[in-house]
Amino acid sequence: MSAIAAKPAGGAEMPKGPAAIAIVLLLVVVGIGYYMTMAGFFTMAIFYSLIGIIVGGMLVTFSVHLVPVGGAPAAMGQAPGIATGVTMLAAGAGLAGLFKGAWAAQFGYLPALGTGAIGGALLMALTCMFVNVTYVYGMGIPSASGKVRNDPITGDSQDEYKSQGTEGHGLPFISYVGGVLGGLIGGFGGTLIYISLYDAYVNGLPTLMGGTTESIMPIAVSVAGIFAIGMFLVNAVLTAYNITGTIEGPHDPKFKRFPRAIVASAVASALTGLLALMIIVPMPF
Amino acid sequence: MENIVLSIGVAAFAGALAAVAGAAEDTESNIGSQGDPNSQVQLAPQMGYMHRIFNKAVAGEPPSWALWIALGAGVAWAFMAMNVNPVLAIILGSVLASFVQGVYATTAYLGRTASLAKFGQPVYVDILKSVTPVTTAHAFVAIFATVTICYLMNAVLGHPFPLPILGIIWGIALGAAGSAVGNPYYGKERQYQNQKFGAGVPISASGNIVRYAEAGERSSLDNGWFTAKYAGPASGICFGLIVFFELWRHLIFEHYFGGWGSVIVGGIIVLLITIMARFIEVWARKTYGPYTAPEKKPDEEAA
Amino acid sequence: MTVKVEASADAIPHNTLLIVGLIGSIVCIYLTYLNTITGLDVFSFFGGIGAIIALIWGTSTIKRLCSYGIGTGVPSAGMVAFGAGIIAMLVGTKFGIMSPVAALIIAAVSGAIFGYLADSVLNMKIPVLVQSLAELSIIGALTIMGFTAMATGDFTFGVLTAGTISIFGFAVPAAQASFVGGGITAVAFMLGGIAIQHPFNAALGPSNTQDRTLMLAAECGFLSMIMMAIISFAFISMGSALLGLLIAIIGWGYTYAQFIDLSKRDAADWLDAKMIVETED
Repeated sequence: MSAIAAKPAGGAEMPKGPAAIAIVLLLVVVGIGYYMTMAGFFTMAIFYSLIGIIVGGMLVTFSVHLVPVGGAPAAMGQAPGIATGVTMLAAGAGLAGLFKGAWAAQFGYLPALGTGAIGGALLMALTCMFVNVTYVYGMGIPSASGKVRNDPITGDSQDEYKSQGTEGHGLPFISYVGGVLGGLIGGFGGTLIYISLYDAYVNGLPTLMGGTTESIMPIAVSVAGIFAIGMFLVNAVLTAYNITGTIEGPHDPKFKRFPRAIVASAVASALTGLLALMIIVPMPF
Repeated sequence: MENIVLSIGVAAFAGALAAVAGAAEDTESNIGSQGDPNSQVQLAPQMGYMHRIFNKAVAGEPPSWALWIALGAGVAWAFMAMNVNPVLAIILGSVLASFVQGVYATTAYLGRTASLAKFGQPVYVDILKSVTPVTTAHAFVAIFATVTICYLMNAVLGHPFPLPILGIIWGIALGAAGSAVGNPYYGKERQYQNQKFGAGVPISASGNIVRYAEAGERSSLDNGWFTAKYAGPASGICFGLIVFFELWRHLIFEHYFGGWGSVIVGGIIVLLITIMARFIEVWARKTYGPYTAPEKKPDEEAA
Repeated sequence: MTVKVEASADAIPHNTLLIVGLIGSIVCIYLTYLNTITGLDVFSFFGGIGAIIALIWGTSTIKRLCSYGIGTGVPSAGMVAFGAGIIAMLVGTKFGIMSPVAALIIAAVSGAIFGYLADSVLNMKIPVLVQSLAELSIIGALTIMGFTAMATGDFTFGVLTAGTISIFGFAVPAAQASFVGGGITAVAFMLGGIAIQHPFNAALGPSNTQDRTLMLAAECGFLSMIMMAIISFAFISMGSALLGLLIAIIGWGYTYAQFIDLSKRDAADWLDAKMIVETED
C-alpha cells in the first residue's frame, strides 16, 4: 500500500478503553512472571530478563517511528523517505545492531548494548547517506520535506525545493537524523531483548538439559537469537500498522501516534517474553 | 598479532564480497523489477499502458533476501553437517537457493500478470525464458557472496550465531541497503526516463512508464544494464561499508576500554557520515537551486 | 504497492479451509509420531505435508485480512505470523506428545492478543483482525513445527536440541549440530514466512481467482518442502530423506504445472515473443 492508497487509521489519540484493557493485560502478564518467580520456577534474574524484554520491545517500537520510510512513492521521487518497507528497514538496522551486540556479549552486557546501538546507527547512517547520494548525484534531485516548511534542525526552507507535482523527495537532515536515531534506539532495544534472553538461557538451560554451560551455549545463542528476531519483527510490524506504512521522521504528524504503539508493544513484548522464558521451566512431560 | 592481521584481512575480504553482493542484489532486483518501483509496473496496465517488463512481486526485497540467504546458509550448513567440504557446501547451498529464487520469480510474474487480465495485459512467455535466468544468475552471485561472508564471520571470526541466523540478519540488511539505495534510481530515473531530469515524477504521471526502447520494446534486461551503471555500485559500496565497518571496529577496537572502544569508534564513524550527509544536502541545494522562487514573507520584503 | 486489493468471490468458503487446514495439519504433524512408535523415521515427510496444508489455509486467511487494506505490504502479515509462530512453536515443543496442540493453543492466545492490540489499541478497526492474527500465529507455529518434524523426524525439545558430530569416526554429542543449535529454525522461519504471503501477494490483482491462488500456495509449500527435505539429510536416515525429497519433487512438479495451466486459463492472452498489445488501437 502506498501512502496515497492507504486508508487513514484515525487520529493520533489513544483509545482510552482498549488502552486500559491493554495495561491490565500487561499487569497480568508481569504478575504471572512475578508469581512464577515467587513460586520458585524463575530466579529473580529471570524476572529482570522479562522486564528487559518489555523495555527492549518498547524501545524497538519507538525506534521504528523515527525511521523515515517513503514506500512506493519514494521510489519515484514523489514523497520523501527511504524507498522500502518500514518493517524491514527497521529490522535491518535493529538486527545489524543485534549482530554486533551478540558478538560483544562476552565483553560484558553494557558495552554490548552500546555497541549494538551503534551497529544499528551505523547501518542507518550509511544507508541514509547513500540514499541522498543516489538522489543528488545520480538523479540531480535535492532533498525536500513535504510535511514541514522548514527543517526543524537546520532551519532550511523546504517548499521551494519540492519539484512540481510531488510531496517532496530525498532525505532532509531531520529525516536523516531520525533514521540514525531510529537505528541507534532499535539496535539498543534489539540487543537488550537478546541479552535478556541470553542471560536467562545461559543460566537456566544447563540445569534443565543436564549439561555444562559450554555444551548448551549453541542452544542458548540460537534460541535467544531467533526469538529476538521474532520479537523484533512482531514489534516492527505492529508499528508499521500504527503508522500505516509510511512516515517522514520525527517531524511527521504521524509520529505523534507513538504512545499507543508503545502501550501495544509493552503488552506484546511481555507476552512473548514470558512465553520465551518458559523454555527453561522444566515440564513434567 | 598474526591473529589481528588475519582478522583485518578477513574483514576487508568480507567487505569486498559485500560490495559485490550489494551490486548484484540491486541489479537482480531491477532486472526482475522487485520492490517498490514494481508498483508502477503493476499500475501501468491499469492506466492503459501495456508493457513487456518483468513483475517479480515475491515480497519486499529485505524479506525475500532474508529467505535466499538464510536458505543458502541453511543448506550449506546441512551439507557441512554431512561432512561436505565448506567451499562445496556453500556453492551447493547457493545454487539451491538460486533455484528457489528462480521459481518464485516465475510464479510471481505469472500470478501478477494473469491477475491483470481485466486490463488486457497479456502474459509474454518469452520474458520468462529470457529474463528469469539473468535475474537468477545475479541472485546466485549475491547469495554466494553473502553466504560466504556469513561463513567467514562464523568460522573464521568466531561470531556465536549459527550460519542460518547470520543469514537472516545479513539477508535483511542486504535487502534493506539494496532497496533503499537502488530503488529510486530504477523507479524514477529508469522507469520514468521520459520525465524531466532533476525532479521527482509528478504524481499525475504515475503509471506512464517508458515501454519502448531506442529501437523496439524495452526489456527488463535493459533496466539491469541501465541501473548497473550507478544504482548497483552505489548499493554495493553501501552494503560493503556496512559489513566492513561492523567487522573492523569489532576486530580492532573491541579490546580497548573493556569493550567500549568499538562503541567510540563506531560513534566517530557515524558522526563523520553525518557531516558528509549534511554536506551532500547543502551541496545539492546550492548547486541545483530551488525549483520555484522562495515565497517571501511580507516583513522580509519590507526589509 | 499502489494496486487496489480486491477480494474475489470464493468457491471454497474461508471457514471450510480453516477447519480442513487446522485438522489436516495437526493430523499430519501427529502422523510423524509414528516415527517414535515404530522406531523408524520414514514417516517424517508427513510433517512437510502438514506444513503445506497449513500454508494453503494461511493463504486464505491472508487474502481475507488483506482485502481490508492493512496499510502496509502483504509480506508484513507473514512476518508477524511467523514472529509469533516461532515463539509459540518452540515453547510448544516442551510438551512432549502434546506439543502440536500446545503450540496451537499458545499461538492462538498470543495471536488473538496481538490482533486485539492492533485492532483496538492501534485503532486499525478491521473486523476480522483478531481472528486473522490468531489464525496466522497458529499457521506460523504449525508450519514451522511441520518443517521441523520433516527435517528431524520429531517435534520435541529434547530431540531438537540434541545433535552429534563425528570426530575421527566417533559420534560425539554436540549441541551445535542440532536442529535448534544449528539455527535451522531460521530457515524454517523464512521458508514459511515467504511461502505464506507469496501466493496472495503474487496473485494480487483484479482478476485474482481462488483456485489459482491456492494452487500457488501448494506450489510454494512443496518448493519449501524440497528444501527441508535436502536439509533433512543431515538429521534422518538417507532412505527416509530421499522419500521426503521424492514426494516433495513430485508434488512440486505437479502443482507448478497446474499453476502454469491455471495462469494460462486466467491470463488475458498467452503470447510468445510478440509485440506490446496496445489497447488504444
